[in-house]
Amino acid sequence: MRSEQEVNRAIEQYADMVRRLCMIHLKNDADTEDIFQTVFLKYVLHTGSFETEEHEKAWLIRVTINACKDLLKSVFYRRTVSMDEIPALPAEMPPEEKDILEAVLSLPQKYKDVVYLHFYEAYTAPQISRLLKKNVNTVYTLLTRSKQLLREKLGGDGYE
Amino acid sequence: MNDRLKQAFHNIRAEEALKNRTKAFLYHKTNGYTKKRTVPYHRLIPAIACFLLVMFGGYWLYFTPTVAISIDVNPSIELGVNRFDRVISVQGYNADGQTLADSLDIKYQSYTEAVNQILSNEAVTALLADNEVMTIGVIGSNDAQSAKILSEIQSCTAGEANTYCYYADSDEVKKAHEMGLSYGKYRAFVALQALDPAITVAEIQDMTMREIRDLMDSLSGQPDTETGGNHGFGRGQGHRRGAER
Repeated sequence: MRSEQEVNRAIEQYADMVRRLCMIHLKNDADTEDIFQTVFLKYVLHTGSFETEEHEKAWLIRVTINACKDLLKSVFYRRTVSMDEIPALPAEMPPEEKDILEAVLSLPQKYKDVVYLHFYEAYTAPQISRLLKKNVNTVYTLLTRSKQLLREKLGGDGYE
Repeated sequence: MNDRLKQAFHNIRAEEALKNRTKAFLYHKTNGYTKKRTVPYHRLIPAIACFLLVMFGGYWLYFTPTVAISIDVNPSIELGVNRFDRVISVQGYNADGQTLADSLDIKYQSYTEAVNQILSNEAVTALLADNEVMTIGVIGSNDAQSAKILSEIQSCTAGEANTYCYYADSDEVKKAHEMGLSYGKYRAFVALQALDPAITVAEIQDMTMREIRDLMDSLSGQPDTETGGNHGFGRGQGHRRGAER
């Protein structure tokens, strides 16, 4: 089991990333809190060592995405939360950024992870393919298609 | 635009309250980070339940006597036989019986081996040679196993003099055990009491079967004769040559 200091350091370092991944998958704060508890409890109990910080980050991304997918797949969740609903974004967020995030969140589920990982975390398509265990060509296709969709939604041409 | 997308994501932050609640949850869940990783014992429950069922079921099947073999000369002993025809208990019903039981090594052997060992026991052969009477009772629930054992014992004792085989229902044996008698002695006691109501258990407990038979003969004024019925003595079908000499 990991020490309290190590876990608190990981929470401070990766909580924002986990929060963003939760935002693109989930609809409410209660589910986000569930995922936080699940992900960091797994981190506490994970006995393997991480070779690098990048390795640790990739592990947390995978665990978070899987935890979100598991929650979405649960029968209870399917019956109680509308899948089309878009989560509420912070009220104090500038309208232009809010529009961008709403455009991302309105994308079909399969595009959201690659958009976040590529545009925000700056992972390349091969890195994303390893992270998500998808074919690299599939990732390229998803990225191209998501750029087109965002361009259509936002009416701009700057998504390169 | 990429920068704007990045900036939009950047504005999404984990609230301090959420982080603190997560830290508190983990502290509580790990018992202050002292708890060792728990083994998921609940996953073992079905396996343990099956194991216990097999163990206790097997134990019950093996160690539940289905037939008792009561052997009386003067040593009175009773063998508990399970459904697999193995001797699972040997009990002496008087001092001689206890001595005989202690000298035998027949537990977990088949009942045929056990009966043969008793018949070839030095003390028993000496008694039989001295014209003592041996009764061997098969006490069961009138099932196929009891019938088979009775038949086997009859063939085992075919060459023995003064040996009687009989069958008795297990319900009748309870009374015998309540009186501290083996079933063979109990049957003799009941028959004797019919002739002399003053007779007590203590009086016959250490009498040999020959002495009991002789007493019955003297009380009834008749030589050793067999009584009919399902549980009467001497249904040994020719095994009592010595007794009638």
